[in-house]
Amino acid sequence: MDREILRRLELLNQLRLTEEEKQTFLEFFNSKKSNLEALDNAVNTQNVERMVHVMPVMTVVREDVVKQPFSRDDLQRSAPETDEGYWCVPRVVE
Amino acid sequence: MKYETVIGLEVHVELATKSKIFCSCSAHSYGAEPNAHVCPACCGMPGMLPVVNKRVVDYGMKAGMMLNCHINRTTTFDKKSYYYPDLPAAYQTTQWFAPVAVNGLVEIETSKGKKSIRIKQIHMEEDAGKLVHDIREDTTHVDFNRTSVPLIEIVSQPDLSSAEEVEAYLDRLKNLLRYAKVAECEMAHGTMRCDVNLSVRPEGSDKLGVRTEMKNMNSIEAIKRAIEYETARHIDAIEHNTEVLVQETRRWDDIKGKSFAMRSKETAGDYRYFPDPNVMPVVIDDEWFNSIKASLPEFPEVKRARYINEIGLSEYDADQLIKSIAICECFESAYAECGSAKDSANWLLSECMNILNSRQMSYDMLDVDGKALGKLIKLVSEGKVGRANGKKILADMFDNRDIDPETYAKENGYIVSNDTSLIEKVAKEAIASNPRAVNDFKSGKEKAIMALFGACMKQLKGNCDPNTLKEILIAEINKI
Repeated sequence: MDREILRRLELLNQLRLTEEEKQTFLEFFNSKKSNLEALDNAVNTQNVERMVHVMPVMTVVREDVVKQPFSRDDLQRSAPETDEGYWCVPRVVE
Repeated sequence: MKYETVIGLEVHVELATKSKIFCSCSAHSYGAEPNAHVCPACCGMPGMLPVVNKRVVDYGMKAGMMLNCHINRTTTFDKKSYYYPDLPAAYQTTQWFAPVAVNGLVEIETSKGKKSIRIKQIHMEEDAGKLVHDIREDTTHVDFNRTSVPLIEIVSQPDLSSAEEVEAYLDRLKNLLRYAKVAECEMAHGTMRCDVNLSVRPEGSDKLGVRTEMKNMNSIEAIKRAIEYETARHIDAIEHNTEVLVQETRRWDDIKGKSFAMRSKETAGDYRYFPDPNVMPVVIDDEWFNSIKASLPEFPEVKRARYINEIGLSEYDADQLIKSIAICECFESAYAECGSAKDSANWLLSECMNILNSRQMSYDMLDVDGKALGKLIKLVSEGKVGRANGKKILADMFDNRDIDPETYAKENGYIVSNDTSLIEKVAKEAIASNPRAVNDFKSGKEKAIMALFGACMKQLKGNCDPNTLKEILIAEINKI
């Protein structure tokens, strides 16, 4: 873990860390690195099939039938702001 | 130095299902009120669980089979994280680790001959919503009608090397997916969109150059222009150091005819794919797999061979017909009804095409009942309806699928008259009022009879067997 990786993590998680917090995270992640390396060396996963789910389950599917059990008004009742059927959010383009 | 362009395409195709991929809302919102087709699942309310639409998997598999892919019998969904208001859950449910179809092959044909394009994978995913920025200055308006509409993304290997090949490849994809009836594939309607990945390298080199991506291209002409522009820009950068090429996403501005780098903020995303714990693996058993395999249509090349070898059509006619499944289906039922392949092909490729062209409609928009067309062809070939009137009936059949040509011809006075006394009367009148044409014909100008012929046909409203009329005209002239 270096400062560049930490910067990317900050960006992706929408965080702004103080210098002190950055130092704490760097020390924390780097101290865990040896644990991960130990695991990596101890277990050979070369030919192990990817586990998709802990239980051997499969999805159920539904038929392609249209239903409309909810009204727009119900769904927008908790919205901070709506306008003529649209949800409103702060402007995202300049 | 000579260069070659290396292009890979990511093509998004909207599947023609009735409902969305993970909920039962309608997938068709054209002209609908904003947010008319939404529910807690597709607008990302916490705790809502997706339920997979079986038809999406059917169509995903079918598309895979049409493109000669291997079908993953256990296919899984994953979360792709990105944060933008058109994606209410802040992740897109897509396929990353085990897409429905992989390792396909599509054959294209250009002026340089045939070429195989490898398909890396086809994955199923949900579409995002629509943002509207021009209603109010300070606000973005969000419409989730399109959220969760099912898409497949067809990812090719970087096997394409020119705008011509890209056009041929997109045409081929459209053709195959329309044959399978899994998608409309109409770029103008947004049901087919394309991301173009492009790099340039010295001819013969096996090392790929710096790659740029242009997203959401929605017309073949724009794609061709963008490819030409990007290729020139890359070569210029390599040869003259005009700029440093970097791997980036660029936006194509078709009006300015230029591509622009998008702000780094927009490309900084790391999608952090991980298995979606809310959707269990989709396991395709033998019965399901075989039922889809059995539902595959006859491929265009197989149809072509059958039309030529079994039905006896010319190569040209067969090539024209197989361009569109709508045309093929109409042809096959018309042929079954009237028994003449040549007449059926002629009516479709000349008369129907003329009407489609005059109405600025594409081949695939043909919506004429093939059986009724066959009946019409029979009426004309048996001489019961004149060809000109047959064309009029056909034009009306474009507007009304329920027209039965024979009833319609009777009701509108289009049935050819067998009343020879009427024809004789009309012929005599025409002869009397066109003495010059009569003299010309008598002095050896055989074509002069056409003036008389036309006058009679007009009088008879086209309802006359041309040969009978001609015979009567000649007989009447000879009496003079």
